[in-house]
Amino acid sequence: MTDQVLLTTTVGSFGKPDYLQKARNANARGKLGDSELSELERKATEEWIRRQERLDIDILVDGEMYRGDMVAYFAERLEGFRLGGLVRSYGNRYYHKPIIASKVGRPKPMTVDWFRYAQSLTDRPVKGMLTGPYTLLDWSYNEAYQTRREAALALAEVVRQEAEDLQAAGARYIQVDEPAIHARPEEIDIAIEAMAVVTQNLDVKTISHVCYGDFAAIYPKVLELPVDQLDLAMANYGYRWLELFDRDPFTKELAIGIVDVHSHETESVAEAAAGIRKGLRYVSKERLLPHPDCGLKTRTVEESEEKCRVVVEATKVVRKELARQAAPA
Amino acid sequence: MKTTVIGAYPKISDENQELRRALHRHDRGELDANGLSGVFDETTRWAIGELDWVGIDVVNDGQIRWDDMLAPFARAWDGCERGPLERFYDNNTYFRQPVITGPITTDGRTLLRDYEFARGIARGQFKAAVCGPLTFATLAEDHHYRSLEDRTLAVADAVAAEIRTLGAAGATLVDVEEPALVAHPEHFALARAAIERLATAGVPLALQTFFFPADPLLDALAAFPVAQVGIDVRSRETQVVEKLNALRHTVVLGIVDARNTRVETERELAGVIEAALRQMPADYLWLAPTTGLEYLPHAIAVQKLKALVAAARATGGVKV
Repeated sequence: MTDQVLLTTTVGSFGKPDYLQKARNANARGKLGDSELSELERKATEEWIRRQERLDIDILVDGEMYRGDMVAYFAERLEGFRLGGLVRSYGNRYYHKPIIASKVGRPKPMTVDWFRYAQSLTDRPVKGMLTGPYTLLDWSYNEAYQTRREAALALAEVVRQEAEDLQAAGARYIQVDEPAIHARPEEIDIAIEAMAVVTQNLDVKTISHVCYGDFAAIYPKVLELPVDQLDLAMANYGYRWLELFDRDPFTKELAIGIVDVHSHETESVAEAAAGIRKGLRYVSKERLLPHPDCGLKTRTVEESEEKCRVVVEATKVVRKELARQAAPA
Repeated sequence: MKTTVIGAYPKISDENQELRRALHRHDRGELDANGLSGVFDETTRWAIGELDWVGIDVVNDGQIRWDDMLAPFARAWDGCERGPLERFYDNNTYFRQPVITGPITTDGRTLLRDYEFARGIARGQFKAAVCGPLTFATLAEDHHYRSLEDRTLAVADAVAAEIRTLGAAGATLVDVEEPALVAHPEHFALARAAIERLATAGVPLALQTFFFPADPLLDALAAFPVAQVGIDVRSRETQVVEKLNALRHTVVLGIVDARNTRVETERELAGVIEAALRQMPADYLWLAPTTGLEYLPHAIAVQKLKALVAAARATGGVKV
């Protein structure tokens, strides 16, 4: 795999199978025990590892079968947080937005056992997946800290502990997602400072996923985010962010979103391949990683699988083209 | 001093999730459009009832049917479609981006039915709301108009038609929700030109700004042809309370933070109100949450409203 170009990956979450969704609902109503639920989460995780292998994805994820919301999962495990009541995110979708009620702390690792389990199932690398400190702050209510910077740096410390534990457990890729990074462009220095705390002692490949917002407002400043790879939604935006790279060249590895995750329909292989070719105009094939725009948790298992299939097929089409171009005439 | 609310009220609570279930049933084909409409009406009744019960003087309909601030208009207007999901300013809340595909036109009756229904429920003074033209225009994707100016003024003409209909139906006050004005203060002249078109409808307008500080715009706001100006004093650092004497309008001061769960203390609120009253007479000061309360869980939203009403009463503005 090491000499392969255009390594394929995904952003982190996949659709949960029906049996797991039902089990999670039953668990929430107190009708299914935690250990029974955990068994089903392990089963679904293994199924997703096998699916990713079958689909021939290069860099895997555990699929987050055991997580609901990407902030609430951590908020439920960190000291200082409590879960608030339901708040709407869009349409008819609601979530329990966390409240930072007092100083935060990490009593014990939150994702390391799941990483170890997922990695034990495959020889391909599995990414360690965390939510970044700025997003943890921005998607929570802050009652505990005087300033947002102070809260972000306190959260950075607990995320750093978790990231270093993932590295110690053997993770070769650690992704620290910051989808909220452009929520307040004037605060990007805080997000950068907090990420520096998280990645300061890591010597693995570091990644951050950014999506759904005004990327132009934080570019090129976001290139200062101390990670090796930025992971961006592009298909949903008609690849318009790439034009920014004309003026200020992109300097990191780019994981490029080539299928929109919010539609039930999936782009054709040809459309997705065209997206990869657009990316190749700005980033070399060694540093460009095709993937879906965002996590796939809002899609069904079948839809998730179909979107991944298109990513991999499109990548293979473009790899062949590159091989032909490279071959001596 | 009167108390009021702006924007959307929480549509469900942890206890009452009837609307959420009804929407799921509608999606699965188990509830028809009439059935769903009935649940929307009941939820609107519930929201207005709560606002009345807490003691808010001037209520709106809670925008229970609105998916987002732009949705009713993007849905109803010709020349508009609803596009991809986008984050709504600095919130972890999303809206469907309007996509403008042709000249925007409307019969002006987009809000009429819901306005008449809700006004019939409210016990006290009732106000309507529309989206601000600059906000709609800056958040839309445009495949038709040539410039932001053309787009904003076209939206303004459509919004003016909506306001004219509301006025004919008896509306005495219409909120114009215009966060884009403080998000993009550089466009204030365009925003004003748009508001001037809205003012031709002849209904008193309340220009509601929120999320961003109004400090750089206070002098410019003084010349807007509106009855009220809404100002958020919580979302970001601002010294605006010290400068309110620049305005000659009624000021709707957003003093409880509708985007954070920490409930303001009575003392804190009294401090802001007293500072405002040093700049302007009480008759011209209304008190409100910073923006729509839908950014909060329902239970906290109610606590915030209670804090708001208590602060208004404690500072002596409202007879109990």
